[in-house]
Amino acid sequence: MSAGPEQTLVHIPRLRRYARLLTGDASRADDLVQDTLERACHKWSLWRPGVDGSGLRGWLFSLMHNLYLNQVRDQLHDRQASDIEGTDEPSHDPFAHTPERLDLEQALARLNPLLREVVLLVCVEELTYAETASLLGIPIGTVMSRLSRGREHLRHLTEGGTEARSGPRLKIVT
Amino acid sequence: MNPVKPTPPSEAELHAWVDGQLDPGRTGAVTDWLLQHPADAERVQSWQSQRQGLQAMQRGVLDEPIPLALARAIRPQPRRYGLQGLVAGLLLATGFAGGWWWGPGLSQPADQRAALPGFVQEARVAHAVYVPEKRHPVEVGAQEQAHLVQWLSRRLGTPVKSPDLQAEHFFLMGGRLLPGRDGKPRALFMYEDGGGQRVTLLVSALDAELSTEAGAAFRFAHVGSTETFYWVEGRLGYALSGDLPREQLARLADAVYRQLP
Repeated sequence: MSAGPEQTLVHIPRLRRYARLLTGDASRADDLVQDTLERACHKWSLWRPGVDGSGLRGWLFSLMHNLYLNQVRDQLHDRQASDIEGTDEPSHDPFAHTPERLDLEQALARLNPLLREVVLLVCVEELTYAETASLLGIPIGTVMSRLSRGREHLRHLTEGGTEARSGPRLKIVT
Repeated sequence: MNPVKPTPPSEAELHAWVDGQLDPGRTGAVTDWLLQHPADAERVQSWQSQRQGLQAMQRGVLDEPIPLALARAIRPQPRRYGLQGLVAGLLLATGFAGGWWWGPGLSQPADQRAALPGFVQEARVAHAVYVPEKRHPVEVGAQEQAHLVQWLSRRLGTPVKSPDLQAEHFFLMGGRLLPGRDGKPRALFMYEDGGGQRVTLLVSALDAELSTEAGAAFRFAHVGSTETFYWVEGRLGYALSGDLPREQLARLADAVYRQLP
């Protein structure tokens, strides 16, 4: 049985979608996927199926996460910002200057990258909180707090303010 | 007021409710809470629609062919022979398609089936018709392999071969000649593993125009439980179909690729 890096082939479509949502740009996204695949091949001998229960896909996503974080840190460095964690603090306060409502895509692009990752892994990749924590290498409590902050930021960006809004009521789906 | 005051759900429980990750024992209580607390319900509803909106974004990428630059990024391990053939094949495939990125637009038609090249649709039909066949799954059996390959090569007007998939535990049963929609013949090879699982490989000679258009990318298609992995190499289109997990079919496709003439 061959069990080499060609197994990664079937994961490429999902990696591409995730990268596009992460970067908001098709060619940057494919560059990120390409870097991820090259890294996976380079580090192939380090991958052990099922070691952390997340499988090959999880491993590829965690490689992509590391590469993406490096990119984001480089960008911050260029802008002389000190800390990724701080980028959604008041200097980048999403609530401060949002006269208009953004669509979801624009709102996602404004989200702090760390929050964006958690929101995407949970909502789009449909990972469990524990899988997300393991993939990102953070405690589950941090996953929950980033998810909560991410969702609230998106909500305020797309709903255009903090005031209560009258909209359709919650539908309970049983 | 309720006779029993419900325990307010934690923030984490509200998220888990949205994500379907709530402990089933708490679902009823959280749902009741939301019905009675419109402010929380409104937040939760907003998260739900975010979730749906995010899931819909870029979904089309999942059905797009894999760009060659990405498939090529997958390098074999030095110790393995794994993907050499695949990579070499991809490099060859770039030869005829100057711009391997499929055309000007990035988006693919929403209906993937409608976008399948004709030979892939033919492959899927042939797979569905002949795989369940008990008495006559093939026209010429594997015991006459040399004759089969000669015959099909002659009819297609180009050398074809029946790849050896024994390393993947699939054995050639034989093959048959099929009519294509364009009136030209197609070659179909059938393989079976020890468990009776069958895969088919359809080989089709393509017009130059079609081979450029359809070529230079690996693509998957699946309808029902049947996966098809297809690509174009030179003037031939290949479609490997099987009711197998995609990973396994990809390994078989890799094995086919390695043995292309």
